[in-house]
Amino acid sequence: MKKHGYKGMLVVVEGTDFAGKSTQIELLKKYLECQAFGVVVSEWKSSDLIASVIDDAKDRNLFNANTFSLMYAADFAYRMENHVIPSLEAGFVVLMDRYTYTAYARDVVRGVKPAWVRKLYDYAPVPDLTFYLDLPVKSLMKRIIAAQGFDYYESGRDIGFSTDFYESFKIYQTKILEEYSKMVDEYGFVKVDGNKSIEDIHEFIKDKTQKLLKTKFE
Amino acid sequence: MRFEKNHNLPGTLICVEGIDGSGKSTQLAILKEWLSETVNDVIFTEWNSSRLISQTTKLAKKRSQLSPRTFSLLHAVDFADRLEHIILPALKAGFIVLADRYVYTAFARDVARGVDASWVRNMYGFAIKPDLSVYFKVPVDISLKRICANRQPKFYEAGMDLKLSNDPYESYRIFQGRVVYEYDRMIDEYDLVKMDATKTIHEQQIKFRKIVKKVLKNKGIEIAEK
Repeated sequence: MKKHGYKGMLVVVEGTDFAGKSTQIELLKKYLECQAFGVVVSEWKSSDLIASVIDDAKDRNLFNANTFSLMYAADFAYRMENHVIPSLEAGFVVLMDRYTYTAYARDVVRGVKPAWVRKLYDYAPVPDLTFYLDLPVKSLMKRIIAAQGFDYYESGRDIGFSTDFYESFKIYQTKILEEYSKMVDEYGFVKVDGNKSIEDIHEFIKDKTQKLLKTKFE
Repeated sequence: MRFEKNHNLPGTLICVEGIDGSGKSTQLAILKEWLSETVNDVIFTEWNSSRLISQTTKLAKKRSQLSPRTFSLLHAVDFADRLEHIILPALKAGFIVLADRYVYTAFARDVARGVDASWVRNMYGFAIKPDLSVYFKVPVDISLKRICANRQPKFYEAGMDLKLSNDPYESYRIFQGRVVYEYDRMIDEYDLVKMDATKTIHEQQIKFRKIVKKVLKNKGIEIAEK
C-alpha cells in the first residue's frame, strides 16, 4: 500500500463487531461537518452491486474461505473506485467504517494466507489515520448478548470451531482480536480503549483528527 | 501456492483457452461427446457460470459500470465458487473435468485491461493446476469475422470500457490484440499447448483428441480405438 496524494483525508475506524465503530463515526462526522468539512462515510460491505449478494450467500451458507475473501474484496474495490477515491480527489474527509484490516483479520482466521489477502488489497491507499477500538472479548460478549444475541457469521460458526454459539463466538472473536493486535504496530493503528465511555472516546478521536486536519489543510 | 504444484487428485483437469471466436467451445463440445461415449464420468464447467455471482456480473456488465479491478475480482469470485463446488469435488471423485476457460483467461484479459500481472496471478493462487491446457490461437481479424457473423462485438468483449476507440470493431481489434499478446506470453510460462485455430474443425479435433489421449494414458485411462 502507498501513501496517497489526494486532496482529501482518509480516516479509518477499525475494531470487532460491537466495538462502537459506527457510533464514533457518526459523532466524528457531525463534528467535522460543524467545522465546515465535507464528509463522506463508507461502510464495509455496502456497495449496491455486491452487498446483497454477500448477504444472500451468507443466508444460504454458500461460502468457502476463498469466495468469502474475494467477495468482500470485490465489494471493497467497487466502493473504492466508484465512491471513496473520487471523494478523496474532490477533497472530502472520508470516514471508513472498517478497511482492509478487517479482511486481514477475518480472512486469515478463516484460513487464507496473510500474504495472499494483503496482496489482494495492495492498491488501497494508506489511511492518514487509523483508529482501532480495542474491546476485550469479555466486554464484547456482554454487548452482543444484551443487544441481539449471536449471529452465525459473527460467531464464526462457518469455520466450525464449536457447534455451541457461545463457545464459537468466544473462540472466533478472540482469534480476530489476536490478528488485530498483531497489526497495531505493523500498520501504526491509534489504539483506543473500547471500554471507555462514548464521550471519552469521541473526545480522543476528535482531538487526534483535528491535529491531523491542521497539518493537512492549513 | 497451490497453483504452482501438480495436483495429486484422481481426476483429470482439461481446459481450453483462447479469445472469443477462436472456436474453443466448439472443440470442447465435440471432445465431450467423444469422452462421454468412451470413458464416462465427464463434467463440464464454463467461465462466469456460478450460481453465486454470475448473474450479478452479467447485470453489472450490462450497465457497463465495472472498473477493471472489480471486473477482475467478480470473475475470481465466480471461479472460486466453481472450484469449490464443481471442479474440486469432481477431481476428487475421479472425473474428467472439462473447463471452458480457466485462470489464464483472467491472466490475459485482466492484464490487457491494465490490472497488474502479479496481482491477478496471486489472486488465483488457490487454483488447481490443470493436467492439460490447450490454447486455440487465432488472428484477431478472423475471430472478429466469426463473432460478427450474427452480432456486434459486446461492450467488454471489445474492451469499450478502456475507451480505446469509439468504434466497437476497432476497439475489439486493439483490445483482443492485447489479449492475444498476453496469451502468447503464457505459452511457455504455463506450458499451454498451442492449437492453430485457423485449421478446420475436424483437423483441430483430431489433434485435440490425440493430445487428450496421451494425458489420460498418463492418468491410467486408456481409450479404446473404434
